Amino acid sequence: MSTRAYVYSVYQWLNVKIFAIPGRVIALLFFAFLFIVPFITANKYLIYTLSMTCIFAIFATSWDFLSGYCGQINLGHGVFFAVGGYIASMLSAHFHLSPWLTISIGSLIAAIAGLIVTLPALRLRGFYLSLVTLSFPIISHGIVLAFADYTGGEVGLYGVSPLTTSGTTSYYIIVLIMLFSVFFMYKFTDLESKFIRVGIIIYAIREDEITARASGINTTRYKFLVFFISSFFAGIAGALYAHTITVVGPSTLEVMFSFQPILWTIFGSIGTIYGPVAGVFLLYPFMEFLQIWGATEHIRYIIFALMLICFMLFMPEGVTIWVRDKIEVTCQRCKKINIMTRSYCRICNGPLHLRKEESEDL
Amino acid sequence: MNSPFLEVKRLTKDFGGIRAINEVTFNIEKGEIVGLIGPNGAGKTTLVRLITGILKPTYGSVQFKGEEITGWPTWKIVNKGIVCTFQVVKPFRHLPVIANVMVSSLCPNAKKKGEWVKTVELRARDALEFCGIADLALELASVLSHGELKRLEIARAIGTFPELLLLDEPFGGLNPAETTLLANSLKRLNKGGRFGRLHSEEITMVVVEHKLSDLMKIVNRVIVIDHGEIITIGSPEEVVKDPRVIKAYVGREVFKGVS
Ligand SMILES: Nc1ncnc2c1ncn2[C@@H]1O[C@H](COP(=O)(O)OP(=O)(O)OP(=O)(O)O)[C@@H](O)[C@H]1O
Ligand SMILES: [Mg+2]
Repeated sequence: MSTRAYVYSVYQWLNVKIFAIPGRVIALLFFAFLFIVPFITANKYLIYTLSMTCIFAIFATSWDFLSGYCGQINLGHGVFFAVGGYIASMLSAHFHLSPWLTISIGSLIAAIAGLIVTLPALRLRGFYLSLVTLSFPIISHGIVLAFADYTGGEVGLYGVSPLTTSGTTSYYIIVLIMLFSVFFMYKFTDLESKFIRVGIIIYAIREDEITARASGINTTRYKFLVFFISSFFAGIAGALYAHTITVVGPSTLEVMFSFQPILWTIFGSIGTIYGPVAGVFLLYPFMEFLQIWGATEHIRYIIFALMLICFMLFMPEGVTIWVRDKIEVTCQRCKKINIMTRSYCRICNGPLHLRKEESEDL
Repeated sequence: MNSPFLEVKRLTKDFGGIRAINEVTFNIEKGEIVGLIGPNGAGKTTLVRLITGILKPTYGSVQFKGEEITGWPTWKIVNKGIVCTFQVVKPFRHLPVIANVMVSSLCPNAKKKGEWVKTVELRARDALEFCGIADLALELASVLSHGELKRLEIARAIGTFPELLLLDEPFGGLNPAETTLLANSLKRLNKGGRFGRLHSEEITMVVVEHKLSDLMKIVNRVIVIDHGEIITIGSPEEVVKDPRVIKAYVGREVFKGVS
């Protein structure tokens, strides 16, 4: 194939798969933005804040994957983050392993912790499961204090090596890991994906577990899988966090820390996977900048709470769904997504903006 | 080895102090359509659920093709070849109709037996077409009417490539014309053959139904239960004349139009 034909086919693919869907255009612009930030500014603090934002985006997405999409409401998600963080820190501070190894081992052990947490999740549903998960950070907190020689106890574990010597390189690594993690979880939950057929099964298990089992689905195995993946990514976030701020402390096991991903996710739209990314990127830097501008912690929490309430009043389903409904419309006939400005579907040419009565006739 | 296709032995289920199923014993041969009838609350649904492992029996055994399946988890029994539909429909309401069937088409048994069909979508679509709701494939299951949901249940069940199909009131919510249509479809499914890409090898069926006039046209044998016990087993003609059956159904007009 000539280069020109190749470029043309890529252009066509982009046209159909990306440019036709506003949400994907926004995602693409967002990626581009993340990549050019270090070219625009050399401000170390800004790059550092964005690195932390990306880390928390992984964390929030992993919570959304487990609780929003798969319906296993976990109120102690910080425990996976902390396991990843502590294991990576200990390996780094005590054994001086390279960050690549510590992050891999840390996230794998977090995933194993996820498998252990699955055991109660097999028997308990809804609120009962949530209450049990709430206890995991508390138990872990006790363990951290009991083995203070290794974990640093109440003050935290110092001496963790940074990811790389340059803040910008670390930033790019974190951005890439974040994009990969979010893309993986998004694809995994994509109902229309032709390659990974798991999304549809997980969704079915959330909808009705008995019917899923009566359809021949081994629900136990899928629950283990879901917890494994979610805690794995939470563990990656924790390990990256430890290597970015070069210290990890028991604050990651506080109740408020486990509630943060929940707030971010609900703010950004629960169950969408991309929602929590938007939530974190809107809320976390804002809170950090408030700190620079001199707001005390109490003031910051008050502003945070007021902001949440105001946004939720006007966008009850979260920011991303609100925006999505403003710019995208789903064809009633072929269920494909179109940009709001079209009047006929780009695939089936059916009318897009039907009034209620008309759509019922269709 | 010459063990029966499905062998139920002294199957019993207690709910608290109430005995819903009491020492039920029967066999089902390959290729049969068996009707399971009885007045309301007789224990038909409970029996179906015991066989598919949704409920665990108090005691008793179920053997399928010579293998003891009592106490197995439901998904394992389904992959062995026994699948049931629910009397009270339980679809995945927020998933499109086709996705409902794709879930069951993704179970290990369906994957193995249907691997020559190119995609899961095609397999699921065939099951929908067989049940006459292929036109609704992309709609959410929550917008379907009750009769359509009943057919979706059947589509979901045959999506797993079963050998034994337990249908709990499949005609509920259907009008007479639709009932006749579905009854004929079931008969064809039982005879075996090809429906599009859907390939059936003589699916054995147990049909629980209150519309006896439609049921009697398709079944080879009828099992009548009342108060959790088998009253009689026999051909449709024998059963409707049986005084014990008439006594169980006393005061009901269910036999109108039968024989
Ligand atoms: N989960 C349960 N807990 C307690 N009792 C139950 C339960 N399920 C069924 N039963 C009781 O078991 C008996 C048999 O019920 P079942 O639903 O099997 O009857 P059925 O023959 O299917 O009736 P119908 O024709 O109305 O569908 C009934 O008396 C019912 O009240
Ligand atoms: Mg019943």
